[in-house]
Amino acid sequence: MMLFGLQWDAAYWLLLLPLALLPWFNHNLDKTVAWVSLVPNDPVSRFISIFLKSMTTLAMASLLLALAAPEVPEKKVERLGEGAEIVLLLDRSRSMDDPFAVKTQAAAVSVGGDNSKRRIAKDYLTEFVRKRPDDRFGFVFFSTKSVNLLPLTYSKDATLATIAANALGKGLSDTNMADALLSSAKMFENQTYRGSRIVLLVSDGGQQLSEQAKTEIAALYQQENLSIYWIYLKSRVEMSLEPKPGESALWSDIPERKLHDFFQSIDVPYRAFEAGSLKSFADALDEIDRQQYQPLLVQETLPHEPKSDVFLWLALFALLILAASHTYSYWGVQKAHE
Amino acid sequence: MTISYRLRIGLTALFMLVALGLVAAALWLPSVPSDVDIMDGLFVLDVTDSMNVEDAVLDGEKVSRLVWAKEFTRRVFLEMPCGAHAGLAIFSEARALILMNPVEVCRNYNDLMQMLNTIEPSMAWVRSSEVSKAIYTAIRQANEITPKPTIIFMTDGHESPPVHESLFPKFQGTPGEIPGVIVGVGGKDLLPIPKTNEQGVIDGVWDVNDVMHVDVYASSRGDMADANARKPRTEHLSSQKTSHLETLASRVGFGFTSSPQSPERLYKTMRSHAKTRSITIDYDLYAWLSGIAFLLVALIFLPYQWLGNRKN
Repeated sequence: MMLFGLQWDAAYWLLLLPLALLPWFNHNLDKTVAWVSLVPNDPVSRFISIFLKSMTTLAMASLLLALAAPEVPEKKVERLGEGAEIVLLLDRSRSMDDPFAVKTQAAAVSVGGDNSKRRIAKDYLTEFVRKRPDDRFGFVFFSTKSVNLLPLTYSKDATLATIAANALGKGLSDTNMADALLSSAKMFENQTYRGSRIVLLVSDGGQQLSEQAKTEIAALYQQENLSIYWIYLKSRVEMSLEPKPGESALWSDIPERKLHDFFQSIDVPYRAFEAGSLKSFADALDEIDRQQYQPLLVQETLPHEPKSDVFLWLALFALLILAASHTYSYWGVQKAHE
Repeated sequence: MTISYRLRIGLTALFMLVALGLVAAALWLPSVPSDVDIMDGLFVLDVTDSMNVEDAVLDGEKVSRLVWAKEFTRRVFLEMPCGAHAGLAIFSEARALILMNPVEVCRNYNDLMQMLNTIEPSMAWVRSSEVSKAIYTAIRQANEITPKPTIIFMTDGHESPPVHESLFPKFQGTPGEIPGVIVGVGGKDLLPIPKTNEQGVIDGVWDVNDVMHVDVYASSRGDMADANARKPRTEHLSSQKTSHLETLASRVGFGFTSSPQSPERLYKTMRSHAKTRSITIDYDLYAWLSGIAFLLVALIFLPYQWLGNRKN
């Protein structure tokens, strides 16, 4: 329950508040006097009596208010940090189960092992996310369809858990790159512009895109002010996105190169990193890490702040006076009896 | 009973002093570490077509089985104490796909909810539903997660294509190694199953001739042709397959609960099957201390003279 700008977690204690008025109606502490008129009318005593009753009310009310567990609810504040907003687009297709960067075709047969591209991608991305405290991450799940699985979040826990989940089990059937690229861009739609926006594609293959998809992607990426980073996980070390003289004729027309050409042709900041070894993968992430420290509006959640102590201090103050005064009266009564 | 004036004043002074001490303790006593048992849950939601059948009852209203499963998952998140971990997975085809490994449920409630909301039938990557195999894969993957979670598998148990009784997919693991509960979703009556198209949009219902009514093994055997022909052709309709799920649960050492009435009850069932782990939390005693202090002060001023004895 919210009251006076505070969140009261155990508000039911407040129902007992009327009890704090008991001292004003009750006479447990009064001495039975044979004839009331005998008691002199003493303004100082009257004042002391009222003061003590007030203190009792204060003590009881403060204790109840403390018990009702008031707290300043968690707050979201914005501060200027350094970093970027990054949507991770991790290929979930079956080919990602193949081993990463092998030298020969024969070595590419073990499926889903510890050196599979998906597991390696997970390890490095985990490290990357950990290194970047201010970044906001999103995660797009993509196979035949794509889903904006984890909308942009500051929670490192949630981001890392999603990345980790992605490394479990086997890959899914197919990839639909166009759909995935569009979904990722849509994560930024209707969001305030906070700073550098990146779609980080980690995949081992490309895809031929239809003309319609190309136009849509180009338009959306320009409109949302996005940069594309592509970490291309090579299955074969010698394969490259840029044509090289004397290479295998089989590679001249691969979809990866078409996608690469497309990314270069649209007017959007784009960088491709060709990871042919663990080291080059790590270097690619390090380079992105170095480049992407631009001013960014960071939303931070300040934890809730318990305020019970304030009331406990009030109660302590009132009880101190009460305990002293009642001990004094007891001492007086004791004395009188002697 | 009448208490003498002297005693009354004495007790009042004593109570006030004790209350003062208690409040001071409430302010300055450090929190006590205390151990709580919590369980970690991996929630696997069936997203196959049969989950679109609207025969699950939620707050007195009929909703689709998937809507029911999502809402119960959300409410169970709320039942889970802070410190417990919750993760999300979906099931389609013949496997469970983990979307988010278990994360602390209070701090990440918002992200868990965001992800739960994105779970839709359109996420299913293949139009088949092999429940038993999916449970096995869920168990296999849960084994790779630390701390090992309890699996909460929400499904109607509809196997498509059907499974032959003697050729039940084998479970390779150790039953009970990963604890879990199968939560049966859906009603008893056979109802038509909405059919989703390529885009995941519902487009008509599965027709009697769209699905296999006999499992692959039996249908390929000439000598079983008669028996096959006699089999009821109802696989295009769906209800909650309670007995199948029960068998499955006992095979993998899971518990089974059919359409639990409330999230609280489901949470209790989960807890009774789960392997809990204990975490240490800082327990602040201030509520107890200030509660007793209040009681003491209130005792002094309660209107005893109105409770029978008015001789005061």
